[in-house]
Amino acid sequence: MRTARVIDAGLQTTVQDYPGRRRMLAKGFFPAGPMDHFAHRAANLLVGNDASAATLEITLGNFRIRLESDATVAVCGAEAPLTVDGEAVAVWESHHVPAGSELALGVAAGPGFRAYLAVDGGFDVAPLFGSRATYTMGALGGFEGRPLQAGDALPLGESRANAARRRLPAASRPPYSREWEVRAMRGPHAAPDFLSESDMETLFGRPWPVDRNSNRTGIRLESHKFEWARTSGGIAGGHPSNILDNSYPVGAININGDLPVILGPDGPTAGGFVVAATVIHADFWKIGQFRTVGDTVRFREVTIDDAIAAERQLSATLAESTLETI
Amino acid sequence: MATTTTAIIDRREGEDGKPIITYRFAGDRGVLVEYGEMEFDLTLNFFMLGVDAALQADPPAGMVETAPGFRSILVMYEPSELSASELVDHLRSVHDGLGSEQEMTIPSRVVHMPIAFDDTTSREAVERYIRTIRKDAPNAEGGTNIDYIVRYNGFRDREELYSAVLASEQWSAFMGFFPGLPFMFPLDPRQTIFVPKYNPTRTWTAEGAVGVGGPCVAIYPVESAGGYQLFGRTIPIYDIRQRNKVFRESPLFMRPGDRIQFHRVEEEELLQTFEDVHGDRYRYRIEESPFDVGAFLAWLPTIADEADEHRRRREAAAAATPVP
Repeated sequence: MRTARVIDAGLQTTVQDYPGRRRMLAKGFFPAGPMDHFAHRAANLLVGNDASAATLEITLGNFRIRLESDATVAVCGAEAPLTVDGEAVAVWESHHVPAGSELALGVAAGPGFRAYLAVDGGFDVAPLFGSRATYTMGALGGFEGRPLQAGDALPLGESRANAARRRLPAASRPPYSREWEVRAMRGPHAAPDFLSESDMETLFGRPWPVDRNSNRTGIRLESHKFEWARTSGGIAGGHPSNILDNSYPVGAININGDLPVILGPDGPTAGGFVVAATVIHADFWKIGQFRTVGDTVRFREVTIDDAIAAERQLSATLAESTLETI
Repeated sequence: MATTTTAIIDRREGEDGKPIITYRFAGDRGVLVEYGEMEFDLTLNFFMLGVDAALQADPPAGMVETAPGFRSILVMYEPSELSASELVDHLRSVHDGLGSEQEMTIPSRVVHMPIAFDDTTSREAVERYIRTIRKDAPNAEGGTNIDYIVRYNGFRDREELYSAVLASEQWSAFMGFFPGLPFMFPLDPRQTIFVPKYNPTRTWTAEGAVGVGGPCVAIYPVESAGGYQLFGRTIPIYDIRQRNKVFRESPLFMRPGDRIQFHRVEEEELLQTFEDVHGDRYRYRIEESPFDVGAFLAWLPTIADEADEHRRRREAAAAATPVP
């Protein structure tokens, strides 16, 4: 069996696949999966995997792994020094590495916060409910339901014989920033029935600092006293942000009392707070690149037609035809 | 269809004994459909379950999954295969094809579960809370949440609270928040318990803990944080290791539409049962028993006066009790 052994796991590294654990929302599982689906998919594309193959999501960096078999690898996402046996190599490119090589990723200085390591054949941990993704809140999936530790031996899938080295050209890589703009659609619980129109202008009008207590379950923003269109949540609770419990979509901008939180891939599936707007899928990857100190996010309101156009553009970028052969 | 600046896709007034239906955007891959107004009315939950079953039986191509709430369904879809407007059209036809709530029979199981009231782990969770999170919370006075639940609901004593829990089947309305967690509500309105949640929340709760928050009763599937007021402990409802036969088909035991009947046991017996569950010696007591919504709705008026009296007593007690 092909394997890779973790030498240094860094801040938090988890096995993730895309689109994660679907069809389990009604049982209380958010999908998990890569917080930045663009970089995950790009890394898989470069090594010849399907987008669904499992990669490693590396938070901040300081990660080292030894490939115990010949492999093709690619790292995409936040820029950090990448070396193979001490020799610098480029990110957003595939590399052939012989058995025994040590791959090391230094610290991402920013902008950006997460990088994805794909290996041809994918990280072949046992699927749970149809996915290899690690669900940190439920402590399940991935490798033993937890972030990786030094010494973990990860199984790799069957090698894909793709001879050519490839690169995602710089022009096709998304721009990273410390001041993010993220497109979102209003609702399901917005103005005029839950929030005031002026609250919506505030939500979409100002930059929101990213709180340091953000993680894969959610990006916490900054408390704000919204005006609300109601004086209370009625039977659902005293605060006007309270509603009778319902299920949440991934990317929900959930207002918990006074605190807006963008629900991440490991968030709670349901709860009793309004969702004023929802991040569109084509921009959801950005929240995986928010740094938890100093970054800000501004939401831009778009229509469903805008969201569909954005999705089409993103999918077109993540295609074989975009790649350059090196 | 929607204009550029609305969250509401469409709204249809109630007719033919069906509730008001509101369709809302939930991003570019989801539609949230809501039934009725924001009222604590179990018939809305019954109607939702009927719709969800019909939708599962006849899903439109491109529908990924549904996620129920108390009176709503979040429908997730693949936009390359299905548009929001096509999905809403499909939902309309599902709604049109259904009878009124009164005519529904919902697949249901009666599930018998042991409960030990005021158990050691519930007290430990409260003690930890007092020690590490908040020492002056009114809901944690005396190292237990139970006296607060009693006070907030105007019960004479703890025994009257325990009787209320045992006297009604608990309706599992939907699951969520955390893997395998059922949101349950008593079917008998004379036995409703209502209590505010923790503020701030607790960092530790034992597996199997039973608590109440707002009008909702929940069982904690795994050791976790939590915000409900704890009053007892039952046996496992989730086991990813599938050690008991009941978890072979799925590690998640509870389903929406289940009716949970608690039976009082001493803590010693509960702990023994916990071990027997993991040793695959215990057999869960489950009866298939379809739920006749019409019969339930016909029964409600016969106890309406008692339910009103219960509610008045509860509201008077709540008004005189501090909130956490």
